[in-house]
Amino acid sequence: MSKGTAALVAPPPLAGTGRRRRRISGDRIFRAIAYGAAGLILVIAGIFIIALFIPALPAITRFGLGFFVSQTWDPVRSQFGALPAIYGTLVTSAIALVIAFPVGLGAALFLAEDARLRFLRGPLSFAIELLAGIPSVVIGLWAFFILTPLMRDNIDPFLKHTLGFLPIFQGSASGYGFLTAGVVLAIMVLPILIALSRDVIRAVPRSLREASLALGATNAETIWSVILPYARAGITGAVLLSLGRALGETIAVTMVIGNRPQITGSLFASGYTLPSVIANEFTEAVGDVYLGALFYLGVVLVLITIAVNVIARLLVWRFTGSERAAV
Amino acid sequence: MKSVLVALSAGAALLLTACGGSPTGTNPSTGGAGVPAPPRASLTGAGATFPKPFYDAANFAYNKKFSQVTINYGGGGSGAGIQQLTKKVVDFGASDVPLSSKEADAMGGSDKVIQIASTLGTESLAYNLDGVADGQLKLTPDTIAGIFLGKIKKWNDPAMAADNSGVSLPNQDIHVIHRSDGSGTTYIFTDYLCSVSADWKAKTGGPGKSITWPTGDGAQGNAGVATRITQTPGAIGYVELAYVLQTKMKQAALKNRDGNFVSPSAAGATAAAKAFVGSSPSQFSIVNASGKDSAPISGYSWIILYKDQADKTKGTALVDYLYWLTTAEGQQYAVNLHYAALPSSMASYDLLVLKGVTSGGSALLSVS
Repeated sequence: MSKGTAALVAPPPLAGTGRRRRRISGDRIFRAIAYGAAGLILVIAGIFIIALFIPALPAITRFGLGFFVSQTWDPVRSQFGALPAIYGTLVTSAIALVIAFPVGLGAALFLAEDARLRFLRGPLSFAIELLAGIPSVVIGLWAFFILTPLMRDNIDPFLKHTLGFLPIFQGSASGYGFLTAGVVLAIMVLPILIALSRDVIRAVPRSLREASLALGATNAETIWSVILPYARAGITGAVLLSLGRALGETIAVTMVIGNRPQITGSLFASGYTLPSVIANEFTEAVGDVYLGALFYLGVVLVLITIAVNVIARLLVWRFTGSERAAV
Repeated sequence: MKSVLVALSAGAALLLTACGGSPTGTNPSTGGAGVPAPPRASLTGAGATFPKPFYDAANFAYNKKFSQVTINYGGGGSGAGIQQLTKKVVDFGASDVPLSSKEADAMGGSDKVIQIASTLGTESLAYNLDGVADGQLKLTPDTIAGIFLGKIKKWNDPAMAADNSGVSLPNQDIHVIHRSDGSGTTYIFTDYLCSVSADWKAKTGGPGKSITWPTGDGAQGNAGVATRITQTPGAIGYVELAYVLQTKMKQAALKNRDGNFVSPSAAGATAAAKAFVGSSPSQFSIVNASGKDSAPISGYSWIILYKDQADKTKGTALVDYLYWLTTAEGQQYAVNLHYAALPSSMASYDLLVLKGVTSGGSALLSVS
């Protein structure tokens, strides 16, 4: 890149000192481009925050911090609160991670460590990439037409039968709600989780593995006591990146969550998430306060995402004791 | 930037009219049926999605008739349409509910905008109940309000049985499905509930495009509600008539104000509209209409434009097109798609206000 730019800009050099001069001007141009690109990102991020904040102002001044704890969402009376949507967002993302983490880590370990079924690696990697490439609206359609009847008729009754003593698996199940949305999100974050964890596990130095095996540890012991502790920071990063994706996912969740702003203990019940409220209501939202409340939800979502990123950073630092973040 | 574009297009239009004379292939005498031939123009509109299939079909037909005019209707929702018209990004907006005074103020005051009724729709209550055939279920204003308030929870509730003798209603939970997205369909339905149930009005505070629902789940769009009803045994929800007919769902017979049970139909919507003499953007509600055939959950859809058009050529094309849309020739595209034809009283109201559209002080529509 720098060479090409330099060749285009600099005049044909004289013999001798020319070569050196050209390299310097090329570096300068490259540096300018790089600084410009970096600055542009900051400007875009700044504009984005301001553009989100200004339309939200009418709602922020009216509801203040009470917005975070109010359960009312009443466009007719212009009373808005974000708590049910925040709750729904956090609960569905948590379900997604609870399901996706063991599955994702297991698949990553298989891909990175198991030497016996090597021929399965190719097809499995392909399947993961395929899953990652499916647009969320298509996953939503599949969930809407196939997963929800399956949840209603098979999975929810099974959970009720076996784990029904837990409050989270009680109540009537329509196939729509927190649990179904969580399952859909789990499917959507699995590819990221697997791919990142696999790379992190593969990056564990060979010498560590061999040392462990040489000391007489089994494969399982090596994975448990050597590889996973070493890769912990990277895996944590992978989990938090997945969480970021789950928090912001909109369309597939909207199709299966039931779109009801309520807070209940049962995972079978319908709920609402921050992105779903925005996607559902912005087209017909009239008036400063109503539209402002939707932008305010956007602000809340951005704050949650930033918080997740900060926590990710802190965890990675804590685990590694330095800036050696694998992700 | 926008004003530059407007200026450019205005300049281009001037050039065209100055150099080209009358557009090729058309002149007022070939307009036919008293519809004026419009000047060359490209019009854009945005707003309500409910009438979009009608506008799309009508726009296509109008462009075939007058090839010098292209109309692009983008949909996007009433709120988006109103906002884009306020910012003058589009030439006309469409909404299932006329402008509120606040929205009109944002456009410079209610005397600066005009609103015409473009079509008429009606809603059905579709249900999914094994053993109860299409039209067999009878609902009264009280039972509809009871179901959507969450007071009637089972299909075999005694309140339901009174109107449905001879039908064996199962001991099954009622699953209420409503729209999750803001929608004119919801506005008309909640307007109906408010007019028949004081309880409902007290609880929800009034009609709205999005409201706080006492019970039930939300699904996106008419199609989303229709699919969820089809999927869920025991479900009931309000859906535009066209979707019910297209998807062959079962719909309930609804008791209207005169006490007759009617199956919602386009003709029933027109009958309901006729029952309200003197409908206008400020008196737009036609729910719970009197008349023996009236479909009780009906409503107009509206088109909004500025009274004073900055660009004379564009403005002329716009009023010519909108006038055509309200004539029998334009309305046939609504009827084909299960919307109801405007009653003649509303069509004459539309003509009257369209005649009031001006540019530089002179009226744009030349229809006697």
